[in-house]
Amino acid sequence: MIETLLANLDTLLLYLFAACALVGAVLMLILPQPMRVALALISTMVFLGGVYGLLGVHFIAAFQVLVYVGAVMVFMVYAIMLLDVRDSAYKRTYSKLVMPGIAAGALFFAALAFGLWKALPDSAGSAATPAAGTFGLQQFAVAFLSEYWLHFELTSVLLVAAVVAALAVIKVSAASGAQSPLGTRAERKGGSDRG
Amino acid sequence: MIQDLVVYAVFIGYAIGVLMTFGLVLTWVERKQAAVMSDRIGANRAYLRIPFTNVKLVWWGLFHGLADGIKMILKEDFKPRTYDWYAYAVAPWVAFTPVLLVFAVIPFGGTLEPARLIPPLADWFGDRTYPMQIARLDAGLLIVFAFGGMTIIGAMLAGWSSSNKFSLLGALRAGSQMISYELVMGLTVLGLVLIYGTVDLGDIVKQQSGIILGILPAWGVFLQPFAATLFMAAAIAENKRIPFDLPEAESELIAGYFTEYSAMKMGLFMFAEFIEIAIIGALFTTLFLGGYNLPFMNDAGFVFPGNHVVELPYVLVFVIQLVTFLVKVFLMCSFQILVRWSLPRFRYDQVLRFAWKFMLPLALANLTVTAVAVWLLRSVNA
Repeated sequence: MIETLLANLDTLLLYLFAACALVGAVLMLILPQPMRVALALISTMVFLGGVYGLLGVHFIAAFQVLVYVGAVMVFMVYAIMLLDVRDSAYKRTYSKLVMPGIAAGALFFAALAFGLWKALPDSAGSAATPAAGTFGLQQFAVAFLSEYWLHFELTSVLLVAAVVAALAVIKVSAASGAQSPLGTRAERKGGSDRG
Repeated sequence: MIQDLVVYAVFIGYAIGVLMTFGLVLTWVERKQAAVMSDRIGANRAYLRIPFTNVKLVWWGLFHGLADGIKMILKEDFKPRTYDWYAYAVAPWVAFTPVLLVFAVIPFGGTLEPARLIPPLADWFGDRTYPMQIARLDAGLLIVFAFGGMTIIGAMLAGWSSSNKFSLLGALRAGSQMISYELVMGLTVLGLVLIYGTVDLGDIVKQQSGIILGILPAWGVFLQPFAATLFMAAAIAENKRIPFDLPEAESELIAGYFTEYSAMKMGLFMFAEFIEIAIIGALFTTLFLGGYNLPFMNDAGFVFPGNHVVELPYVLVFVIQLVTFLVKVFLMCSFQILVRWSLPRFRYDQVLRFAWKFMLPLALANLTVTAVAVWLLRSVNA
């Protein structure tokens, strides 16, 4: 009993983590409060890291947590903390397009699942078995710095372009006298009195 | 299979036990050491009385940590009217759990060979050997930083969800300070990674068994003295202790980001801080002080300068390595407490300027010099 459980522990944990990551992702979509959305996203990232770890690529798991939780999400939480987003206006949850959105999402998911199902090899029963941990940090580093460095650098160029674009959007809306996309502070604060 | 389960359950139990004991004892050490440094007597009252006798175990007040813990548990669990009770409840755990998880990749002893350690169980265990480390991962150091970065979220969440201006200011300070010093901490360690050529902590410890320059043990602190100093300073700042304790500066912010916490929730923040002292000690020991080995020691015995080899029996090596690790970690904890009671607090702008204008350039310079030196040595040897 225990022997079979131990032998299948990896697969069991893999499904558990994958399910938790999915739950976190769904919560991220449906929760109204920004901070809880951030927390849901953090848990999704951590569980995805767990999935990577179980598949035998521990350094990808470490990067996942290090970059997405330790850097990206820390800055998001920092920003949410600085913005005074306790206004009830944020509790208007869904727009009128929620039903079409869900329908389109289901359709897309079905297409994706169908495509994956077709692409699976015939003996698909063992799809979840973890790969042997042959792809270590060293192979990764060599492949990364010899084959993929150009792609990586191009990504950073894209990011710079995105930052410039964001700045341009803010400049334009400020110059045209309109409010910034986030609204003014006084407006957001409204009549709410807090401690 | 079951043997592995038993061994790793023992490892995890040992790690949690060691960390909890360090957490409890350090609360007392901090007060007692402060007292000794300022020529007072210090905490010496709490004792255990053996039931049905009048024998009191005072032991210089060593049980003050236990008394504190019981007090924390029994106090009223005050609940402020917060905007987000969920974030408020989850924040102490977000700050506490990653600190424990970091220890999973730190090697706390050499190689465990159960068959040689406990002969009656030799048949059951066969010739299995285990490195004494909960998770032997090739990404060891990366995982330390991955989990280390998560504690920031706990501090910010606590300050934000408390609906208190002091808490929010404390969280703001904690966030910016920890982000700044984490960068410095990562950069200082990179030089060491260049020299050892690996981020596997077990491997890093093994490489420190050697000899450099004929007489010195190949410890990180001799290879990278600059990095060791910077790492220690950045780690203390990361743990938000004096002289970097601006996020909880009591004269300005009451208790900063955990002002609104009471009872065991507040205890978790405190406990996380004290356990992190032990974790920093363990990390510093592993990276810079030869880990669980005495100078010139390896898994088989000693190799002194001049190639004098002293072989030791396995059980003796095993015990020496376990004890050495604990003693080194305790000495590093004591050093951190020494720093805490010796230096006055920075001003907040000074903390950030110190990180970005002083430590970051120094760390970068250290990394550059190390990279050039390693490259020169490799090309000379090749």
